[in-house]
Amino acid sequence: MSLIRWNPTRELTSWSTDLFNMQREINRLFDNFLRGGVQDDGTFGLSYWTPAVDIAEHDNEYVVKVELPGVSKDDVKITLESNVLTIRGEKKQDRETKNDSYHRMERLYGSFQRSFTLPSTVRSDKIDAVYKDGILTITLPKAEEAKPKQIEVKVK
Amino acid sequence: MGNNNVALTRRVTSSLAQRVEPFHASVTPVADVYETGDAFVVKLDLPGATKESISISVDPNSLSVRASVQPHHQETASLLHNEIGVKNYQRDFNLGEGIDHNGVKAEFVDGVLTITLPKTEWLKAKEITIS
Repeated sequence: MSLIRWNPTRELTSWSTDLFNMQREINRLFDNFLRGGVQDDGTFGLSYWTPAVDIAEHDNEYVVKVELPGVSKDDVKITLESNVLTIRGEKKQDRETKNDSYHRMERLYGSFQRSFTLPSTVRSDKIDAVYKDGILTITLPKAEEAKPKQIEVKVK
Repeated sequence: MGNNNVALTRRVTSSLAQRVEPFHASVTPVADVYETGDAFVVKLDLPGATKESISISVDPNSLSVRASVQPHHQETASLLHNEIGVKNYQRDFNLGEGIDHNGVKAEFVDGVLTITLPKTEWLKAKEITIS
């Protein structure tokens, strides 16, 4: 074991990062608690985990991005029902854990689900989904009537 | 003496500010660490990172992983929901003795980085038979 010079600013860096991460985790905990309520087995919160999501609105489409690292694309199900987009599935543990000893286990496994109400109608026949580098990208083109229109008014 | 203290305070706060500023963009990715008969395995969730954006370094005492997620939305889009964002992943692990640093392997599949750190011979469990 060699000696490492103590660097106070380095400790501060990791301490502050921890603090910000803790704040994020607590926010998420409250989110899950408020959304999920009390489960049948007496535990609080949701019985499934909720992946992080970005939704961007473009002129002609919505683009939804979902963080799903380590999830097989066959285990993801996307449904659209009267403007409610639901992404659900399961993250399976990729290996037998019987014989190995775990030092840390922070990654989430099991069922996940998220639902969103889209602000306008989309063309359900033109929805496209791609999974790459742990991110699921769903593109939902807007229906004709929902696209922004520019109307010129002549001033007399 | 008083001036010295002021100068010192200023130096400390300016170095603080330098270090505090990028924190919002820095995220500690979640990790699983387990041990098999002949290796330690570290799995990190790095969704949105690309293979090229990941840097892994190993020295005798630590393993460090850095990765970045590039902006993935066009600027013209308006974000209705923003939880992913642009970020830098950053995580360090302390390493003990008994790791074969030359045999470290890594692979990145579906947003998950798997690093395998093989054990050296003396760390591996040996069965001793009684003669």
